Amino acid sequence: MSAYLAFAQSGFLTQLAYRNEVWANLFGKLVQVFARVAIWTAIYGGAGVIGGVSLEEMVTYALLGGAVTGAARYETVVGGIGHALRTGDVAVWLLKPVHFPLYVIASEVGRALYRFTFLVVPTVIFVALFYGMLPPASFFHGAMFVAYWVLALAIFFLIAALFGLVAFWLLTSFSLEWLMQALLNLLAGQLIPFWFFPEPLGAIARQLPFAWIVYYPSAVWLGRLSPEECLAQFGIGLGWAAALAFGVWLLWRRASGRVVVQGG
Amino acid sequence: MVEVIEVRSVSKTYQQPKRFPGVLGALKSLVTPEYTEVKAVADVSFGIRKGEAVGYLGPNGAGKSTMIKMMTGILVPTSGSVSVLGCTPHERRMEIARRIGVVFGQRSQLWWDLPVADSFELHRRIYDIPAARYADNLRRFAELLELEPFLDRAVRQLSLGQRMRAEIVMALLHDPQILFLDEPTIGLDVVAKDAVRRFLAEVNRERGITIILTTHDLQDIETICPRLIMVDHARLVFDGELGRLRSALGSARRLTLEFTTDPGPLPLTTAVLTADDGLLKHYRIERDDVSLVDVLTEVGPGREIKDIALEEPNIEEVIRTFYQRRNTAVPA
Ligand SMILES: Nc1ncnc2c1ncn2[C@@H]1O[C@H](COP(=O)(O)OP(=O)(O)OP(=O)(O)O)[C@@H](O)[C@H]1O
Ligand SMILES: [Mg+2]
Repeated sequence: MSAYLAFAQSGFLTQLAYRNEVWANLFGKLVQVFARVAIWTAIYGGAGVIGGVSLEEMVTYALLGGAVTGAARYETVVGGIGHALRTGDVAVWLLKPVHFPLYVIASEVGRALYRFTFLVVPTVIFVALFYGMLPPASFFHGAMFVAYWVLALAIFFLIAALFGLVAFWLLTSFSLEWLMQALLNLLAGQLIPFWFFPEPLGAIARQLPFAWIVYYPSAVWLGRLSPEECLAQFGIGLGWAAALAFGVWLLWRRASGRVVVQGG
Repeated sequence: MVEVIEVRSVSKTYQQPKRFPGVLGALKSLVTPEYTEVKAVADVSFGIRKGEAVGYLGPNGAGKSTMIKMMTGILVPTSGSVSVLGCTPHERRMEIARRIGVVFGQRSQLWWDLPVADSFELHRRIYDIPAARYADNLRRFAELLELEPFLDRAVRQLSLGQRMRAEIVMALLHDPQILFLDEPTIGLDVVAKDAVRRFLAEVNRERGITIILTTHDLQDIETICPRLIMVDHARLVFDGELGRLRSALGSARRLTLEFTTDPGPLPLTTAVLTADDGLLKHYRIERDDVSLVDVLTEVGPGREIKDIALEEPNIEEVIRTFYQRRNTAVPA
């Protein structure tokens, strides 16, 4: 366990080494978030509420949406695992008493925490000063949001690791990175919340693991879920995380087993 | 003595997918893949005892790296069995990993972006090395291999020689019982090679760490490894002491005699005349039981000798003779 903490810590600290990029990144992020909020403001026009969702809620949703996806990068996980398996660099990792996908995830979590602290939080605060942002619906919802955020990070990286492992068989991680982005945009609710999805698409999207990355954390913050629903959906999310972790474990065994048998 | 490594009739055959030209060819290899078999290791057996230092030698493609990979558990033998510290390496990889150290000359295990010291620290956390033990080892090894000047430099900024020294130190930090090295001196200059060799010899002697190393540099073997395993075309062709190889081959010593006056052609029975420059005559002494005195006796008292030079065969020559004889005896 100590090893994975060390990887996360090291990921965090290496980001710190590139801190002169922070301003450029911060600026880029601000432009992006301002644009997203501006689009929603334009869509709402003068209307206070559309489909039962107020503009204020929508702006808050857009800001919270970046809490995970603005900080975490899937490219390093998908590309890193795929690349190491294909080139045989993974051999070096098979010599160490660590689980390689977990190592990649742990280091990326470290980097994500760095970006969250120095990029996402400042951006959200800055934009919130301009457009206003709703507080959590209640103390309970606020606390649940934190738990959901951690779960979101876990699901995000487990899906990325799964894609990276699939890349071993498909011999390409490029197309998988594209697919991952597309799925995030659509099925995580990053671009458009499920409230505006036509049924049954919205109902289906709510059941898929991507929903826990953006949609559920934000919906919880806004109080769209009752306390009971909050707990129940969290349990289902945990179930997804466990299933994904099992998938990663299984595919990793297959992939590394193949490397070990064939040589690389 | 305990055998720490046992390799019993191990073979490894790689399957390389055959490629056919063109789109149809690509389709064909997708639907009905055909494989070319590459036999990298064929029926190799040997045992290595605790504390030994063994050189694993052979021409390019002889199967040295493949054998190292099987012993370290990252490759599964096609047939036969490998046992390292009592376990089958690929079945108990995590466990074995904690008890061995591995250095690949061609593949870095350090973290590219991090300072060397940070890589070591991560290594400490991965292997749960007790703090005192870690500090102790690091101080000692860093001193022996003079890592101090670049400990806080990022790995990507190091020269090859500096990096290799760091790789070797990292592989030893967790007190492994066996150290595997695949071409640890590749690409190093004479000074760095020498430092690495002396270091490995010392680690082997003082800590009793078993060492197995592959190399193309015979000097490595001469300094570090009393025992030699030679492979060629996937097969084991020699296993024993370097001295035994020498005497088995009866490798010739070279004798140069310089006379004050030209004695004319001077064939001898104890030595073969290989070159005659008049005053300077070159001989080859082929038999081990012939001494210098025997040769000089045969030359006789009447001739005045100004200078004598006798050269022992060097290891390169021994090995070259060995492979040459094999190749003429067994046409490949
Ligand atoms: N992953 C692989 N797939 C197919 N063939 C391989 C693979 N790895 C090695 N080989 C083949 O197996 C044989 C032995 O390779 P190996 O790397 O063990 O040789 P080596 O003795 O280490 O050579 P060198 O001195 O060049 O490092 C070679 O013919 C090589 O082409
Ligand atoms: Mg090799």
